[in-house]
Amino acid sequence: MNELALLVVFPLLGAFLLPAIATISPFISRYAGPFILFTVLILAASAYNTVALSPAAIHLGGFMAPLGIVFYIDPFSMMMAVIIALMFLLVWPWKADTPVRLHSLYLLMAASSMGLVISGDLFNLYVFYELLAVSSYGVIAIQSSRSAPAASLRFVFLSAAGSVLFLTGIAIIYTLTGTLNLAHLSMLAQGQLNNFAAYAALLLMIAGVGVKAELYPVNSWVAEVYASISKPLAALFAGLMSKLAVIVILRLIWMMQPDAQFLHLLLILGMLGVLSGELVAWKANDMTRILSFSSIAQLGLVFIALSIPSENGVFLAVLLMLHHWLVKSGLFLLITQLHADPTRLKGLAQASPYMALTFLIFILSLLGVPPFPGFWVKLQLVMGLSEMQQSIYYLALGVVLTATVIEAAYLMRLIKQMYSPQPAAMPLPLQTVNSQQRIAQFFALILVVSMLFFNPVNQQIKQVAAMISDKVLVIKTVYPRYYDSHHHLQQQASLDKQLSSVFEEQRL
Amino acid sequence: MVSDAQAVQWLLYGGAFGLVVIGVFGLLALNNAFRLLLALIILESGANLLLVLSGFREQGMAPIILSTQAQAGIMNDPVPQALVLTAIVIGVGVQALALTLILRVKQRYQTLDMRQIKALMEKDISEQHQVAHLSSYESPAQISAGRESDKA
Amino acid sequence: MNRWSLANFSALIFALGLAVLLFAVSVQLPLANAPMLVGNSIIAQGVADTGAANLVTAVVLAYRGLDTLGELSILFAAAGVVGLLLTGAKAAQSPLPAGGFVVSSAVHLLTPLLFVVGFYIIFHGHLTPGGGFQGGVILAMAFFLPYLVDYKPLQQEHQRLTLIESVAGGSFIVIGLFSLFSGQAFLQPFLGHGAFGNLWSAGTLPLLYIAVGLKVGSELSSLLINLLHAEDE
Repeated sequence: MNELALLVVFPLLGAFLLPAIATISPFISRYAGPFILFTVLILAASAYNTVALSPAAIHLGGFMAPLGIVFYIDPFSMMMAVIIALMFLLVWPWKADTPVRLHSLYLLMAASSMGLVISGDLFNLYVFYELLAVSSYGVIAIQSSRSAPAASLRFVFLSAAGSVLFLTGIAIIYTLTGTLNLAHLSMLAQGQLNNFAAYAALLLMIAGVGVKAELYPVNSWVAEVYASISKPLAALFAGLMSKLAVIVILRLIWMMQPDAQFLHLLLILGMLGVLSGELVAWKANDMTRILSFSSIAQLGLVFIALSIPSENGVFLAVLLMLHHWLVKSGLFLLITQLHADPTRLKGLAQASPYMALTFLIFILSLLGVPPFPGFWVKLQLVMGLSEMQQSIYYLALGVVLTATVIEAAYLMRLIKQMYSPQPAAMPLPLQTVNSQQRIAQFFALILVVSMLFFNPVNQQIKQVAAMISDKVLVIKTVYPRYYDSHHHLQQQASLDKQLSSVFEEQRL
Repeated sequence: MVSDAQAVQWLLYGGAFGLVVIGVFGLLALNNAFRLLLALIILESGANLLLVLSGFREQGMAPIILSTQAQAGIMNDPVPQALVLTAIVIGVGVQALALTLILRVKQRYQTLDMRQIKALMEKDISEQHQVAHLSSYESPAQISAGRESDKA
Repeated sequence: MNRWSLANFSALIFALGLAVLLFAVSVQLPLANAPMLVGNSIIAQGVADTGAANLVTAVVLAYRGLDTLGELSILFAAAGVVGLLLTGAKAAQSPLPAGGFVVSSAVHLLTPLLFVVGFYIIFHGHLTPGGGFQGGVILAMAFFLPYLVDYKPLQQEHQRLTLIESVAGGSFIVIGLFSLFSGQAFLQPFLGHGAFGNLWSAGTLPLLYIAVGLKVGSELSSLLINLLHAEDE
């Protein structure tokens, strides 16, 4: 189990050594990165089987939590690790003239992404979040588009401010409790963290991390950054990075278990995100812009799902995230080579029927048309919202349905353009399918396969999500000796008492 | 009247949170890119100060063990000091990066006013999305000529 | 500041609101008697676990070694991006005025002192306040000061600094991997604790700090050199 630290460490080692290796042997340095990612992919996939039924905890440095940092390995984190390794392999810059430092930056992004999904320590999450942020600032800044430095600068200011707010929240939490371990903090949540200061800290932390998670209203960076970077990189950012930030927020909410009012605030922000995203996407006439704002809206849906308390909310959020990853990454990869103006899509169906079919699959699933997976995902969200039986959740349900209608307006427009005949004077929308578009077709295939087997996939994800929310399971994994001597963890009273005995028992 | 301890508490927390508030206000209200960077630096100082404060003990000594015999006296908390060490270094990295980006943006747009930079950037984006296409496709005349030869 | 627009005003309102929120938080925060759940245990068992006298070093390198590794990576990413953005034909030919007599004699006097002090602080990180980062910054100054005195950065010097940076960073991870591949956890200290208070004590901690110090020193100095020679117009 300890070797799973390599998920984070091996890409870091590669990133550090690549500049030195490049001076000795440029050939090795070209393929070192993908090799490392492939190894990590295999490692994560095999770990998924091992922890499928019982998660494990790695205590780094040999120091027991909460003194040291703990990595929490459960099926969800291993599934995300596989997805991360896969995405980085798919968007890897293979061109021979890319500078070796760029390879290092990609490896650093991969390492920090891994760290974000497996870390069980609050400050460690902050460090990996910052590493992801800094390497993404760099990758954005060196893109070849003319707007890249300015977009990166504006993003830096917003995101760095968010990170500092995250740090302020951590400082407040540490002052209140004296520990940084997520499982330990969740034990203390009803006691020391049940006051105004802790809720303010949670608000600051979510506002900070929300920048990367495209939360309303700190998502002003999205359109300009996605327009300034290459489409495969946009697929990585929109499809993967935003999800990682949402996972951090998920962990924070799990740790604090805030009461209903706080969740209502999250719900309102989610609704505002959905509405603002869909309305701007409807008016946009630039493909990248449409996809950027659609992504803001979809992440708003994820926040709406997160505001449903108990494990159902976590399950719906995970399901929405996975679906959005497949569809949005696929769409961004698909529009490489295509012109930004949607009216230039005319004739796509004649030029390449498979490409148009792929596009159609993605759009219909995004919209939520049966029998595509998107329909079942949205249906479960709607059912989850109506089960709450509170007026604000019914309002959210209305927002979701309204958003679907607006989505239909602009997405159907795209389908219509695709299948219209090509006007004589315009050049072809597409000549040959390039490799990124092939990858998009592969994603569409995955989507179709999951549509055919939707029920088992749904059940599996439900199980995985239930393991995330299971507080007793987490505490049992991270603090086995404490759990053994306090079997009656269900009773809140015994959780808060005898906290100092955690340390004595861990040392024995 | 407030006691000494309370006054110290207000002063310390007021300082740390005050820096945070000044930094946030600066980020929201200022327009010059370099001044925005300074506001960010102030914001980070405030957060670091807050983190260090969490380890403070009255009459506490630095957490360095002087001899292996039993230690008399209270020690400050070593963990926040280690956290702040990390946070400061991270801040330095981000600031260096931001400074470099400001240099690049100044080279490209010849201005440091964020409003003008935003306008110029959006102009670049809209140009980019039209220019890139025209350079990778043949002219309409060549296409129609090609299609006629295909039909023949 | 003479024309306060609506945007400025709303920024002020927002900042005031934030100030009120934070004030309310500060009233609730304990000062000087926070529950030191983790801190007390580290103070009690830090020497027994690591052999280091400076408990902050014990936390930075042993208990939270992975955070330190992440921080090194962040610095590496930032310095790398600065290098990528600022190198170019223009940068190499920037006509900086040569430092005068005062600057060059001051630099000649200071550089050896800076090296000594920097290495002293790095080596004694586990005994007295200081360590790899602090000493590394001083070393960076020692590497960098000669460039203020009419020194043009040769390609080999940049490459040398990059090499030191890479190898130092890699060795930090390799030391951690030693423990991993001998069956223990990643970054678990080994090599025995030695006698308390000696320079050679605390196992792998001084070695880790030396790697950190060299990495930070070479990284920051190449970052500063890049910034120094960046073209302005």
